[in-house]
Amino acid sequence: MDKIIYAILSVKEDPEKLMAQLNTMKGILEADLYIVSYEDISAVVSDINRSDLIADKTNALKFAELIENLAEQFTVIPVRFGSLVESSDRIKKMLERNYNKIQNNLLEIKNKVEFGLKVFCDPEKMKAEIKIKAEAEPLIESIKSKKKSIYTDYLLNKLKEHRFEEQLLAHVDCIILDITTHLKQLNPIQKFKKMVSATNIIDAVLLLEKDKKELCINVVNELQNKYPDLSFMLTGPWPPYNFVDINIK
Amino acid sequence: MTNNKILCNTGTVNLSIQDITDKIEKLEKAEEAKLKLTPDNAESGLAKLVLTLVELIRKLVEKQAMRRVDGGSLTEEEIERLGETLMKLEMKMEELKKHFNLTDRDLNINLGPLGDLM
Repeated sequence: MDKIIYAILSVKEDPEKLMAQLNTMKGILEADLYIVSYEDISAVVSDINRSDLIADKTNALKFAELIENLAEQFTVIPVRFGSLVESSDRIKKMLERNYNKIQNNLLEIKNKVEFGLKVFCDPEKMKAEIKIKAEAEPLIESIKSKKKSIYTDYLLNKLKEHRFEEQLLAHVDCIILDITTHLKQLNPIQKFKKMVSATNIIDAVLLLEKDKKELCINVVNELQNKYPDLSFMLTGPWPPYNFVDINIK
Repeated sequence: MTNNKILCNTGTVNLSIQDITDKIEKLEKAEEAKLKLTPDNAESGLAKLVLTLVELIRKLVEKQAMRRVDGGSLTEEEIERLGETLMKLEMKMEELKKHFNLTDRDLNINLGPLGDLM
């Protein structure tokens, strides 16, 4: 029988509390949960046959819900769905091999939760505004003075497209800078992705102390007031999925 | 999931529908972009792969060229030659796509943090 790992956590402070919580929950396919430990770190696992683990919505939600329930009470490193190991002994060896990395990561995320911040725009409106700016830039002398040919016309159009894209990215960079300035008071660890889709111009994840949720909401409301043409969506608190930085060996 | 995870969803852009539409479109694109090589379509599958790489390199060359043009360091003659080269490259690429019955969408790949190729 294989073991599926849900999360890794430190049980140094309150092992009884963890055992009590595991007794109130069930794993995938209603299996009992238990821990496999090495020194003060433990993996929360349940038994499962490899062939019974189906990657469907029910199991994925069950898996995420379990991690979330644990994260409400403990600092946990969430493990990727479908992480199966053949035996408890192998899990123990894995914890031993990666002990320092796990400890360091647990320290980084201690008492912290993740928030997602997405910024959306009306793409047509934003493009129209930026196009005006891009076209207002003066042309370089060597193109302007050149006698017109199909090749210079072609290059001129390409240059306009290029300037438009650069302006768009610069505009998004300005917004990111403003967001980071506003968020500075919360002292977050943050990661940004730009231009995720035509509408989703910023997709950020923030790692904040658990008690900073309300402050974070206030900051996002301030940003929304400053940028009425954009839409800000804040989600969370999540287990720190995007701040796990371990390649388990 | 426990509670409602959306803490703040404000502004004038209609998020819910647009976000979902974008995500579905992205998943569909990712599915379509997969290289499906079988004995029956080896030629077109390989053409798709090769042309995707060629298009990626062409776009990078074009981007770099535009930076140089915008920097103002090129002479009139160099600009004329560059325009001709880039235009012919684009036309040749269109020819090849037509020959192998491929569209821009077929050659699109996600470049991670850089976004989509097309």
